[in-house]
Amino acid sequence: MSEDPLASTGKPLGYDLQIRHLKDRAGKMGEWALGMVHDGWRAFDSGDLVAAQAVLDRDTELDRFDEDMEHATIAFLVLRQPAAVDLRTAAALLKTTTHMDRIGRLGFDMARLANPVKDRESAELNRLLQQMDDVVESMVRQALEALVHDRVDLAQELFSRDDTVDRMHRQANRLVIAELATDPAVVQRLASELLIARHFERIADNACKIGEKTIYAVTGQRRSEYLPRHPVKPYALETPRGP
Amino acid sequence: MMESTKLRVDHLTAYYGSNPAISDITIGFPERAVSAIIGPSGCGKSTFIRCLNRLHETLPRTRVEGTVLLDGEDIYEQDPVRVRRRVGMVFQRPNPFITMSIYNNVSAALRFNERHSRSEIDQAVVRSLQQAALWDEVKDRIDAPAVSLSGGQQQRLCIARALAAQPEVLLMDEPCSALDPVATAKIEELIARLKKEFTMVIVTHNMQQAARVADYTAFLYLGKLIEFGPTEELFERPKDRLTEAYITGRFG
Repeated sequence: MSEDPLASTGKPLGYDLQIRHLKDRAGKMGEWALGMVHDGWRAFDSGDLVAAQAVLDRDTELDRFDEDMEHATIAFLVLRQPAAVDLRTAAALLKTTTHMDRIGRLGFDMARLANPVKDRESAELNRLLQQMDDVVESMVRQALEALVHDRVDLAQELFSRDDTVDRMHRQANRLVIAELATDPAVVQRLASELLIARHFERIADNACKIGEKTIYAVTGQRRSEYLPRHPVKPYALETPRGP
Repeated sequence: MMESTKLRVDHLTAYYGSNPAISDITIGFPERAVSAIIGPSGCGKSTFIRCLNRLHETLPRTRVEGTVLLDGEDIYEQDPVRVRRRVGMVFQRPNPFITMSIYNNVSAALRFNERHSRSEIDQAVVRSLQQAALWDEVKDRIDAPAVSLSGGQQQRLCIARALAAQPEVLLMDEPCSALDPVATAKIEELIARLKKEFTMVIVTHNMQQAARVADYTAFLYLGKLIEFGPTEELFERPKDRLTEAYITGRFG
């Protein structure tokens, strides 16, 4: 054994390749889920039912990704019995694929809301939802980049971006309530848009969870060690009031 | 929170001739818990635990510096025979006394070193074999030769023999390395049971075994203690990059 055991790696090549392969597959699953969000939002926004159906049909493949990742990660745990960073990576991958599945499912849910018969649109609300889509898609992309390439810095940035999405979500809720007060006839559209804003907010949360798992895999730190939770009040006690 | 320390090692260095096999090791083994020592071949694991019951000094041209405190008292200032009665040891390969019966193996220490009545010895034999989870398998052939037992049974016999002296600490030097998985599982189950009564230190080259049986794990490298802590912590998020490299198999 050499004096500096870290100077060269005696680790079997296949081991590293297996971890690389798992991460790449997780990245592909994330891209698939992100595609469902991207197209799900566009199908909703345009009311294109053909595009919406295409998104809904992609759910089967998302399930297959999820099962494949679970199978491959469990096989890695059983056969390699990893420790330390490798163990944390495998555990993180098991959890992150669940969050990717949820992200894809939220894209699916947006596509289901697509309706070619549109009530009169609110330009301001529509613009806000489009902005939410831009931010949220970019967050998911950033979370995937962090996960696949062990980028703790990218993962850490997600938490402040999530605050932005939360603010946008509240703004969307306020716009919906204001519009409902002046024009109750558009309740159907507003109900859908309320859901869309909520879906975007959940997607951002899932992107943050992927970031948390990435930080855990790379550093071993859990969220409570670097990001203390703030106390949360009922909406009625917040200023300005309302969700 | 760690239990109270049963065995405290301070700045321990052990030599073969003028070469230190382990150097400046300071560590405290918690009472009634299993502590595992892991590390690559030749890192000093076996030398280290042989210092904990003064076996190292039985080899020619060896020497020990530092202190080993058992309940606060330095074992190097006590009668070594008494030390070894309080700190028992089980070795890599089962080593029963091959000319003796099962009964005589377990009772050997009592018969040679103490003045006990026959019924006291009988009771100690049964108790020790029960503690070693061997009684049910041998109770009908207690006078059969020890070598008639399987390898796994022989190892449990050696554990029973060590327990008969009613030690406070039990050292195990790779106790399963010569055993098949079934016999290994039985010994590991036994270790889990024995820790309720004894302080145990086990040397193993099998990291999964350390993860399975030990409450605390120490990593030794080139005769030095690199890291010691709760097993779960050490295997999930080791503090030292050498530990990380070793347990993930990334060692040059």
